[in-house]
Amino acid sequence: MAAQRRPIGEAGWGRTLGAGIVAFVYFFPVLWIILTAFKTYSDALAIPPVWLFTPTLENFVQVFSRSYSAGAEAVATGFDRFFFNSIFIAGSSVLIALVVGTLAAYGFSRFPLRGNDTYLFIILTTRMMPAIVVIIPIFLMFQITGLAGTYLGIILLYAVFNLPFTIWMMKSFFDELSPDVEDAARMDGSSEVRLFFKICLPQVVAGIAATAVFGLILTWNEFLFALLLTGVETRTIPVAMAQTIGGDIGVRWGLLAAIETLFLIPVIVVVFVLQNHLLRGVTFGTIKR
Amino acid sequence: MSDLRVSGLVKRYGKVTALDGLSFEVAAGEFFCLLGPSAAGKTTALRAISGLERLQAGAIRFGGRDITEAPVQGRGIAMIFQTFALYPHLTVRENLAYPLREAGVEAGEIARRVGEVAEKLRIGHTLERKPTTASGGEQQRIAIGRALVRRPQLLLLDEPLTNLDAKLRHDTRAEFKRLHRELGMTMLYATPDELEALSMGQRIGVLRAGRMVQVGTPDELFERPDDSFVAAQVGSPKMNLIEGRSVRDGRRIALPFGELEGGPWAAALAAFPAGTGILFGVRPSDIVPAEGEPRGPRLASEVHLTEPLGDVTVLDLVANGVPLRMVLPEERAVRYREGDHLQVELRLENSHLFALDTGTAIR
Repeated sequence: MAAQRRPIGEAGWGRTLGAGIVAFVYFFPVLWIILTAFKTYSDALAIPPVWLFTPTLENFVQVFSRSYSAGAEAVATGFDRFFFNSIFIAGSSVLIALVVGTLAAYGFSRFPLRGNDTYLFIILTTRMMPAIVVIIPIFLMFQITGLAGTYLGIILLYAVFNLPFTIWMMKSFFDELSPDVEDAARMDGSSEVRLFFKICLPQVVAGIAATAVFGLILTWNEFLFALLLTGVETRTIPVAMAQTIGGDIGVRWGLLAAIETLFLIPVIVVVFVLQNHLLRGVTFGTIKR
Repeated sequence: MSDLRVSGLVKRYGKVTALDGLSFEVAAGEFFCLLGPSAAGKTTALRAISGLERLQAGAIRFGGRDITEAPVQGRGIAMIFQTFALYPHLTVRENLAYPLREAGVEAGEIARRVGEVAEKLRIGHTLERKPTTASGGEQQRIAIGRALVRRPQLLLLDEPLTNLDAKLRHDTRAEFKRLHRELGMTMLYATPDELEALSMGQRIGVLRAGRMVQVGTPDELFERPDDSFVAAQVGSPKMNLIEGRSVRDGRRIALPFGELEGGPWAAALAAFPAGTGILFGVRPSDIVPAEGEPRGPRLASEVHLTEPLGDVTVLDLVANGVPLRMVLPEERAVRYREGDHLQVELRLENSHLFALDTGTAIR
């Protein structure tokens, strides 16, 4: 008889526990935010921290109420607007970056120019500069062109910021495809345009999904440019969140945590929906077929 | 008529010359094999004919039409790739339908022809699956099906058996012969494997460094190789090629184990001055143990290694320092052990002679 063995892929109790502890350490700040979102003002500030409390939805109500009473003062949060802004701006800019970037990546991969690598490197260098270095010229450009405070301005800016990353990532996916498959399609009568849409693009769907997720998270979290280049109407959540801090009665941790909890949901949903693609996308090219 | 005429093809990649004036003709309905070692230009030749590769010089005529500059699409040529090159994101049914869809064939006709091809190639059970879930042999048949479904006039096959295991190779060779017989299509088959070429090709073209060395039927190549390269490529186990030189006005040749005269090449050799470097070629089957009345020159040798291959055994002999391969039926070979001394006889009437410098046959 062969020795009894664990089924492949099933770890022992010790390892499972170890992994659980590590996961908990990473997840703890998120958990704390979510817990705080359901606490009253005084519970949120209690020291030592309160673990058992009566949950309240008051913070979430406040997020979406146009005005509420805090002491004698009426404050409008308008967070429904900011949520819309964040979704609209991140979604549009990532979409633009994907369309332009995927086409560019296909070009770089299949129709290399003389000095192809140099161009690719130049594209990459635009991401090497710290954002803070370029913020002043961009701010001035936006002032002069009238793009400051507009949707168009911030969407274009984010699209341009997502482009280098999109091009590099999509190029690596296109590079991985078998050239024989494309030759076969040519012989089967496909024009170059149909070849791209019918053969190449469907093969890199996982890559597009992975690129989109990374781009969305990057844009969703962006603060610096949004702070300086969005106006009252086009403000995104990270900026709006920062502006709720302060006021007469100090930081409203409960309200802030509620906003953050809501802020997390779209990211979790996107990652959850695309997780299979994401895994295939990020492991693409690392596994020899 | 769908005959293929290829003349003077030249293809260079930077400093590397892949095709160096390649010319050959394939008759309509013929099964023609391109045989040559890797990097001889087989794949480049097929890609040029298919239109995937642009040429620096040369002309390709197919069915009386000059297609040298014609676009890939619409040449009426299909190709089976070494890697199969199936569309991984499409089901097998969609893979088979793809060339027809691209040609604008209407849906009912597509369904009928896909069904027909799937039945002929026994891949009906895989139709709704992705090709990656099919076995190697099935993937091969799917690739064949995709090539056949649009009824091409010329089918190019680029080492299609390389990615299959030995058993499947044998079956698929038979499959290709059957398809060729049934469809009567012109087929151009590139392979580095002489067994594939000899067993399937009606005619074989032997390629070396982007040039055609010799074209002929399997028998012609086997019996009358024009070149020492062809002699070494065709036949298994390989022909023994022994370096030597001509002596006495070229009537005899001197080899390390002695002088020989009277081969079928003797008259032709006379035209060469004495001392000309030559390669003496004798097939392993034309070396036999010396028994009874001598019918040819005999020489002493020692058995270095025996290699039983089932019904035949290859004996590696050493005669006066020269390695010689001999092949014997298994029942005759069993009595020889490694280290045995053995008197062998050469069937000189079947021997070949080549010029050492050019490799050209002397006959």
